[in-house]
Amino acid sequence: MTGSSARVQTGGYDLPVYDYVRPPELAGGPRRRYPVVIVGGGLSGLTAACDLACRGIEAVLLDEDDTIGVRGASSRGICYAQKSLEIFDRLGIYQRIRDKGITWSVGKVVEGEEVLYSFDLAPGSASAQPPFINIQQFYVEWFLVDRIRELGRTDLRWKNRVTAVRQGAEHAVLSVETPDGAYEIEADWVVDATGLASPIRDGLGLPTHPERGEDRWCISDVRFRKPLPTERWTWVEAPFNENRAVWQHLMADGVWRIDYQMAPNADPAEVSRTEVAEARLRAHLGPEVEFEVVWVGPYSYRTHLMDDFRCGRVLFIGDAAHVMSPFGARGGNSGIQDADNLGWKLALVLRGEAPESLLDSFDAERRPAAAHNIKVTSRTGRFLAPRTEMERIIRKAVLDLSTEHPFARLLLNTGRMSAPFRYDASPLNTGAEGEAVPNVRLGEGVLSDLLRGEGAAFVALWAPDPAQPGLAAALQAVAERGWPVRVFACGAEAQPLPHLSGSGMGLLGLTPGTLLLVRPDQHLAARIRDADPAALEAALARALCRAPSDALARA
Amino acid sequence: MRTDPNIPDPDGFYEALLDTHAGLSIEESHALNARLVLLLANQIGDAAVLRACLAAARASAGQNRDTASRDTQNRETAR
Repeated sequence: MTGSSARVQTGGYDLPVYDYVRPPELAGGPRRRYPVVIVGGGLSGLTAACDLACRGIEAVLLDEDDTIGVRGASSRGICYAQKSLEIFDRLGIYQRIRDKGITWSVGKVVEGEEVLYSFDLAPGSASAQPPFINIQQFYVEWFLVDRIRELGRTDLRWKNRVTAVRQGAEHAVLSVETPDGAYEIEADWVVDATGLASPIRDGLGLPTHPERGEDRWCISDVRFRKPLPTERWTWVEAPFNENRAVWQHLMADGVWRIDYQMAPNADPAEVSRTEVAEARLRAHLGPEVEFEVVWVGPYSYRTHLMDDFRCGRVLFIGDAAHVMSPFGARGGNSGIQDADNLGWKLALVLRGEAPESLLDSFDAERRPAAAHNIKVTSRTGRFLAPRTEMERIIRKAVLDLSTEHPFARLLLNTGRMSAPFRYDASPLNTGAEGEAVPNVRLGEGVLSDLLRGEGAAFVALWAPDPAQPGLAAALQAVAERGWPVRVFACGAEAQPLPHLSGSGMGLLGLTPGTLLLVRPDQHLAARIRDADPAALEAALARALCRAPSDALARA
Repeated sequence: MRTDPNIPDPDGFYEALLDTHAGLSIEESHALNARLVLLLANQIGDAAVLRACLAAARASAGQNRDTASRDTQNRETAR
C-alpha cells in the first residue's frame, strides 16, 4: 500500500502522514450529494468507513488532521476486546492486529507481592478471536486506513474540518474548511464521529449532561527490560504509589502502559513532570531496571451521554455520543461496536431493503449499552476512590477478606472488562434475544465469514429436523423471495441448502429443528424452535422494521 | 461457613451497601454497620456458622496492610 507520502516521528513512533487533496467541490466540480458522510477519522469513524466500504457503500470521510492518532503520541485506548476483534476479522484487519499486538487473557489483582485474585478469560471462550489484544490505538487506526484505501470505496479527505451541519427532511448540508478554502457537501446521512468535543453535536444544541470525576490519574507509557508476564496486573493499594491504585499492561513494541492513581488534589502539571514521572517509575520498577519514557499524560475522568444518538439525518457514534471512565476498556470498544451496529442498518436503508425507521434502533440499542458502560465504570471508580471514610473501611474489609475467602474476591473491582452488550430490550428482537453470538468455527471457517459481502445479509443457521424433509426448500425460498438472508443447514445435510459442519454447533445450542437468526453485526435476532418459513419471515420483518408481508422490497 | 461466592450481582450489592451509608456521619455509619451485622446474623440462624463467621472476621484483620494504609491515611489527612 502507498498509505502515505510522509512520516512523522513522535514519541519514538514513526506514524504516517496522509496527503491533503483539493476536494472536487473546490476544483470546479459540482456540489453533489453522497449517501454517507462520516466526520472524524478516529477509531469509531474509521471503523464505520471500513464497514460501509466492505458493504459496497460509497462514503466520504472528513478528518481535520492528516495522520492517525493524536499528534504527540497521546496513548488513548490499548485494550481491544473479543467483540471488537471479531468485527476487525470481518473487516479484514484482524490478522495485522494479532501479529502486531499482545494477546492476553489473564488479569490479576496484586497486593504487595501477593496475588489476591486472578481471572483467565480464555477458558469458556467460544470465539476464534482471543478475549483481548493490547495494541496502541493508532496502529488500529492505521490498519483501518490501509484497508479502507484497499477497498477503494471511500473518499478519505484529510485536513477537511467540518464547521457546521444544517439539515432538512431529505438530506444534510455540511460546511467544510480546508487549506484551499471552504465548501459545502450534501449527505443523505451524516455519521458524527468527532469525539468528546463534537462541534456538530454542540452546533445542533444537543446536551450531553457531563459529569467530571474528582479522581486524578497519570499514565506513563514506558519501555523497559524486565521480564514480566503479558498479564493485566492491578493494585488497589500499591506500596510504591503511596497505597493508591496502579495498572500495568503490555502493548505492542514492548511498551508498557502504567497508570498511576494520584492524590485527589494532585497538580496535573507537577505529576507529569519528567523527573516526577521517572521517580514514580523508579519506585515501581526497582533500582536496576533501565527504562525509557514514551509518553506521560495526566487525566481525570468524565462521563457524558446524549439523550438520543440520532437527530434527523445525523447519527452519533463513539465519544461524541458517550464518554465513560476507562476502567475495563469500555470506551474505544463501545465506539467500534457503535459503528458495527450502525453500518448494516445504513447499508440496508440506502439499498432500499429497510425503512429509515430501522436507524432508530441504533439509538434503542446503543444508548442502553452506553448507559450500562457508564454504570459499570462508575462502580469501579467508586471502589478505587472511596468517597467517605466508611467507603474506605468497607473496601479495606473486602481486601482483608479476599486473601482467604473466595467470595470477597468478586467484590474487588479494578475494572470489569468490556463485554458485548445484550440488546435484550431491542425492538428488532423476536423474543428476549439480542446477545452477541461468538465467532464460532463453522465449516471451513468462522461465523463472521458468512457475514461478509456486498450489502448486509442475515445468516440463518438451521439444524435440520429429519422428520420434516420439505422444510429445507421452503426455508431456501424465503431468501429467494427477496429477504436479505442466507440460510445454512448445520450439522445434518438438507438439500438444497448449503451445509455447514464444525465444532460451533454445540456451542450455539443448535438442536434439531432450531433456527438461529444472526444479524449482520453478529447479534442474535431470534432463536426459533421448530422453525418454519413463516416464523423466519416474521423474525426478519421485525429485525428490519418491515411488515411481515413486505417480502418483495427489491424484487 | 460458606466462603465460596454466594452474593448475587456482587457489584450491585456493593453499590447498594455504600448507598445505604450515604449522607451519614462516621459514627452513624458505624452504628448502621452494627445493626446490619445483627440483622444478617438473624438471617443465618445457625450457632456454628455464626461462631465461624465471628472467628473469620477476627482473623482477617490484615496486620501489615493495616499499618501501611493507616500511614497513608494520616498523610492524606495532614494535607
